[in-house]
Amino acid sequence: MTNIRESDLPGIGRKFQIDTRSGDKLVIIIHDDGRRELYHFDPDDPDSSISMVTLDDDEARQVAGIIGGLTYRPKALESVEVALNDLVIEWYKVEPNSKCVGRTIGELQIRKRTGATVIAVIDKDQKQTVNPGPDYVLKAETILVVMGERQQIKAFKQLVSNGSE
Amino acid sequence: MEHIVFEVGLALTLMAVAGLISIRLRFSIIPFLILIGMTVGPHAPQLGMVDLRFIQSAPLIEFMGRLGVLFLLFYVGLEFSVSRLIRAGRSIAIGGTIHVGLNFVLGLLFGWMMGWPLKEILVVAGIVTVSSSAIVAKVLVDLKRTANPETEMILGIIMFDDVFLAVYLTILSGLLFSGATSVGGVILSGGIALGFMLAILALGRVAVPWLNRVLNIGSTEVFLLVVFAALFLISGFGETLHVAEAIGALLVGLVLGETEHRKRIEHLILPLREVFGAMFFFSFGLSIDPRTLGGAVWPALGAVLLTLVGNFTAGMLAGRSAGLSPKAAANIGLTIVARGEFSIIMANLGKSAGLLSILQPFAALYVLILAVVGPLLAKESKAIFTTLNKVFKWQSPRETKASTAPHGKKEHG
Repeated sequence: MTNIRESDLPGIGRKFQIDTRSGDKLVIIIHDDGRRELYHFDPDDPDSSISMVTLDDDEARQVAGIIGGLTYRPKALESVEVALNDLVIEWYKVEPNSKCVGRTIGELQIRKRTGATVIAVIDKDQKQTVNPGPDYVLKAETILVVMGERQQIKAFKQLVSNGSE
Repeated sequence: MEHIVFEVGLALTLMAVAGLISIRLRFSIIPFLILIGMTVGPHAPQLGMVDLRFIQSAPLIEFMGRLGVLFLLFYVGLEFSVSRLIRAGRSIAIGGTIHVGLNFVLGLLFGWMMGWPLKEILVVAGIVTVSSSAIVAKVLVDLKRTANPETEMILGIIMFDDVFLAVYLTILSGLLFSGATSVGGVILSGGIALGFMLAILALGRVAVPWLNRVLNIGSTEVFLLVVFAALFLISGFGETLHVAEAIGALLVGLVLGETEHRKRIEHLILPLREVFGAMFFFSFGLSIDPRTLGGAVWPALGAVLLTLVGNFTAGMLAGRSAGLSPKAAANIGLTIVARGEFSIIMANLGKSAGLLSILQPFAALYVLILAVVGPLLAKESKAIFTTLNKVFKWQSPRETKASTAPHGKKEHG
């Protein structure tokens, strides 16, 4: 794991210092007023920052989504997840040989049986459906955006790939 | 009292204008508020038709300024937590001790050299010791230094200053208001004040689970009323025990800061602190007769000089002891010189205890100078360090060059 150091800045916010594997030093300040500042420090002189970026709250969230691979998934990664306290949002791709292909969300009783909720689907042709209904038919290569606690997500994956828990 | 709302409206307009100017000049608002208060105070000359002397509303504005002190210290209490201080670490305890110790001793020495009586010396030592959290934190944010390695140390010192202020204010207010004359009496009254403080804190600690339940109120209106009631009741009650009301506010803040409702209270109180805090500086300005400033010029300049040297030395020692580079250490010393709200609270304490009247104009000038000079020094810290480094040779020229080469063109905002 990359070394991340957190510290309080009383009256200002919170500081996260990240020494990346590539040797860069990145400092992120989350201000109490919602602003985020990203500082990139000179590796040879830890006292002065080379560059900095200020983002307001919604910009920061968008950037977080981009860096986190939510809008464009790096090819190398299998699935992406975001954790919000105990809740996890995960991007799950339906495999062609999965048992659920051709069945509807309602048929599978996903929420009832696993507790997890499919909050959005992205079809192979990039068509997005937010909050799909129970008659939504799952197809191969469809990406399911699913939300739930870790246990529920686990049960969900079992259900979708095997057709049962 | 006919046009009281109009007068307060005028006062607020002036303060807003001062604020707009301060933003334009990219400066702390504090000196502007004091200055504008001074120019329209009851001592100001009347200019023909325009009479901006807030005579009718002066008591009201003064009261709002007092509320400002309450909110200011209440917020300090809320923000402060023991666990946070412990987490802040040993190096900060050392840095804070150096800063407070050095400046306090210099303050005592200064008061003694001025030939002032003991109580005045003690008040002056308080005035020159405590840095302004408001100005320093703002300077760090404005200059985009929040990510720098020395920032934690600076904020740690500021936090340590707040703790010192709380304890010192308690002891001092006990001492000034009890009327004790003998050494034993002085120790006793200081002890009573400290005892009151510890008792409230101990009680508060026990009461935290209970407070968590009591404060579980959905309605913002009722929630605020309960918090306000606690704040005013305990601050007011403290006063009857010769404990300054500011201390009461601080204690309420400390206790409520331990509850799980801290964030909500902070959120609701912050705008009040801003508005009434501004009133506080303005009303302090109102209370200063510009004609009395003349007699305070030399003492104030002397104290400023002493503070600059003391803070720079303290910053250097603290920074080096924490293993920071000389440049970062210099940044500490040059950032923490700003003085503001706490120095004025100290001076007001002296006023209400009936001490020498020079303390008020002295504090006004002292705060005005350092509230302006402090942020300037912080801004120019690189140039100052480079110059001083030629004399003291903390850092070899090669290193300095490497560290000053990049950077430079992005300090706007």
